[in-house]
Amino acid sequence: MLDLDPFHFFRLTVGWVATIYATVVLVQTLWGWVVYLSGGDRYMTVVRRYLVLHALRLRFKSFWGDVLVCVLLCWVFVLIWMAHNAIEG
Amino acid sequence: MKMLPPAEGGGLPVVASPSAPVIVSSGSAPRQLADLPKDELDTLAEEYGLEPRRFKTPQELVAAIHGRRQLIASLDRAALVDVVRWGRRPVPVNATQEQLAFEILRIKSMRFDGLSERGLIALARLRGLETGPEDAVPVIVKRLKKTEGFWAKVNRKRRAVLGSIVSGLVGESESSKEYQFLPPQEQQGHGGGAGGAHVPPRDRSIKEEIEESGLFGGIAARVKKTADQYINQKLDDIESRIDRKLDEIDRRLAEWRDKEIANRLRILKITLWASVIVATCSLIYTYLKVHFGK
Repeated sequence: MLDLDPFHFFRLTVGWVATIYATVVLVQTLWGWVVYLSGGDRYMTVVRRYLVLHALRLRFKSFWGDVLVCVLLCWVFVLIWMAHNAIEG
Repeated sequence: MKMLPPAEGGGLPVVASPSAPVIVSSGSAPRQLADLPKDELDTLAEEYGLEPRRFKTPQELVAAIHGRRQLIASLDRAALVDVVRWGRRPVPVNATQEQLAFEILRIKSMRFDGLSERGLIALARLRGLETGPEDAVPVIVKRLKKTEGFWAKVNRKRRAVLGSIVSGLVGESESSKEYQFLPPQEQQGHGGGAGGAHVPPRDRSIKEEIEESGLFGGIAARVKKTADQYINQKLDDIESRIDRKLDEIDRRLAEWRDKEIANRLRILKITLWASVIVATCSLIYTYLKVHFGK
């Protein structure tokens, strides 16, 4: 008899589906940008340089609060994962 | 008078830097001038302020041009700049001594107000008078006025009257703007820029322009100058408008970039919160199942 835990089943299914979906969308988006920006004409070179310029102008101080929260949440997530493994022995 | 250096190889006159007095190595210049065709020689002579018809043979004309070159080389550059400022001639700040002299030779004005003494002496020498620092200013002015021919004087007066009438009709006041040099020119060969297109002066009044160039010449120069100013002003307006638009686009793009990054970070934060909440629930569930589920 298959011992299927509904909660674990839901959790793992959502985790896998969401991860695969997010990965596919992210790779597609990045690939689209790479193809768009790898054009060899003069205007695309200007666009590339302009994007680099905007990236250099970006100030970390504007978003440091959100970035800190994200790092802390990742850390909490890892801690919970480790606690989970510890409980299961 | 400065002595010229001995002729060296090459033969082309050597032009020194604009800040220093220009020394023209003219040892082989007469021979080169003599090789020129007559019409070119005449044109060159006119540029040097000489009347070619007064010289019977080309040799005499060549000698006169050579003498004029020596005279220009011997003149003080500061005095020439004084005359250019007084005559409001458009010259670049690094113009050679010969270029300054060519511009001065185009000045026909007989009003010497505002001209320094050294400038007056330089002008007199370029107009063919033998003067020096020992001569008094009124004497030089008197001699300069004597050199002007009768008909030239009558024509000048006639043009001055016309200029006054037109100036009165137009309602233009006397220009008193500070003299400005043209942008510096690139280094080029001897006399390269002097023989080029003659740019009308920018700051002279219409009265002075008509007095120098005649009624139609003066009005045409003024119309051209006004059109140039209008076009330049419009071009400047368009340029500044484009600059403003580009700045606006740049600012909006920067705002969009910041908003986009903030939005992505918020989505990431929500996802992480959801993951942590689900993980916590899972942890509690696992704990209960391990310790109380048996």
